[in-house]
Formats: sequence, C-alpha cells, structure tokens
Amino acid sequence: MKTHLDMEKIARGLRAERRGKVSATGGYFGAMQLVADIDSRFRVPARGGRPTDPRWTERRLVPLAPRTLERLEALTAKVRQRNGVHVEPMQLAALLLERTTERLSEDEAKALVERRRRAGR
Amino acid sequence: MAKTRTKPARQRPVLHGGRKRVLVVLFIPSVERDGATPIDQQHWVDAALEMFGRVFGGATAYPRAKGIWRDDENSAMLVKDEPVVVHCYTTPVDIQDAKKLAALGSFCRTMGRESRQGEIGLVVGDEYFAIRNFAEE
Repeated sequence: MKTHLDMEKIARGLRAERRGKVSATGGYFGAMQLVADIDSRFRVPARGGRPTDPRWTERRLVPLAPRTLERLEALTAKVRQRNGVHVEPMQLAALLLERTTERLSEDEAKALVERRRRAGR
Repeated sequence: MAKTRTKPARQRPVLHGGRKRVLVVLFIPSVERDGATPIDQQHWVDAALEMFGRVFGGATAYPRAKGIWRDDENSAMLVKDEPVVVHCYTTPVDIQDAKKLAALGSFCRTMGRESRQGEIGLVVGDEYFAIRNFAEE
C-alpha cells in the first residue's frame, strides 16, 4: 500500500543509510507481505470453520473471468505450499480488492487536495 | 421480487490514520561476519519480537530462510547464512516517531555489535536501510 513516509527522517532516527527502494508490491516482498497479512489477520471463527478476517462481515457475489479464478487458485496453492498458510482463492481476492480500494482512495484524496490547491491560487 | 442489499453494520472511514499499514522487515542473521561462527539466533529473534511488541505493538518471525551477503570491506567475501525474517506492521505515525525509531535503531546496533555483524538490514515501507555503525552515542 502506498504510504507517504519521510524516509530521510526515518534514516536519521535509525542512524541508518538509505540504500534504495525495494519492490513492496511485487516479487519477494509483495509475496511475504501478503503472507504476513494473512497470518496476522485471519482468525478461526468462534463457532468453528475456516480461518478468516473477522472484519469481513459483508458477502457479495462477484463475477470473475475463469482465467482470474485460475490465477487466484494457483497463487493460493503456491502460498500454501511454500509458507504453509491456508487461504482460499476468494479470500485472496478479498484481500487484494481491499488493498487496491484503499490505495485508490488515498491517491484520489491526494489528487483532490492538489486540485483544490491549484484552484485556490 | 427485487433483491434488497443490507447496509454494512458500521461504515469505516476510507482513510483511517491509525490503521497499521507500514511493513518493517528485520533480518536476524545466523552467523557472525566471518560467515562461520554461529550466533545465538534464537536469543535475537526473541529479543526482536519483544522489542517490536513493546515499541510497535506486535511482529511475526518466519522460519529460517537462506541468505547471502557480500562483505565489501572484507575482500568482497560472500557470507552465507540462514536469516530469520521478522515482519512488523505499524502505522505511518509510529514509524516516524523519534523515540520509537531510536529504540529500533538502538536494538539493531546492539545486535550488530554483540553478534559481530558487518551490517544490519531493515526494510521500512518500500526502502532498504543499512546500519553499519554499531557504536551507541
């Protein structure tokens, strides 16, 4: 998720050297971030059943292309095989949808503020 | 009959400043800088989890991975180790807090010094930070 951080301030506070950007959404870190997200959020419901995020209380039917579902199935199988973390394809879809909508909202908010600033000049 | 949609029980603001959304990744080495002398990795994993829990509210340590590091100050020797990767989710406010950063930096320097490392690596958000000077001020 895109977050605006003052990396210079963080480097000073840590007394560390900035060594450059890493890919936070793709590749190794993206995958690890996803696994960490699942691990930290999923809980077994009190009345039993498969682990899920307790905040996911809404249910909707989402139409998908077969290719998308196949991709989700392949990704969840890989996460299960490599990290031992069990996640269903549609749970992964919910997680990805949540991330994207949050990121879009932040970008939209930023664009709105910039538009207002320009209009105020 | 037309379907009616139930409204969400409670609407959460889209932009919630307090939500944990910055990932901090710390690598805990398994060997000293010489690449041969093992360190008490479990001690540092426990200490890191305790520090992250106290300072940022929680963390997760993953099983050992395989790693390699090029020691440029030592004839570019390749140091092979099996690091433990610790993940901590925190907020933009907390990761930019001077006291919390000082606590995290101090932990890294102590670990680097006592386990004789060349570098301690941290990823904050989408940037890699290296701590090489382990002297406390």
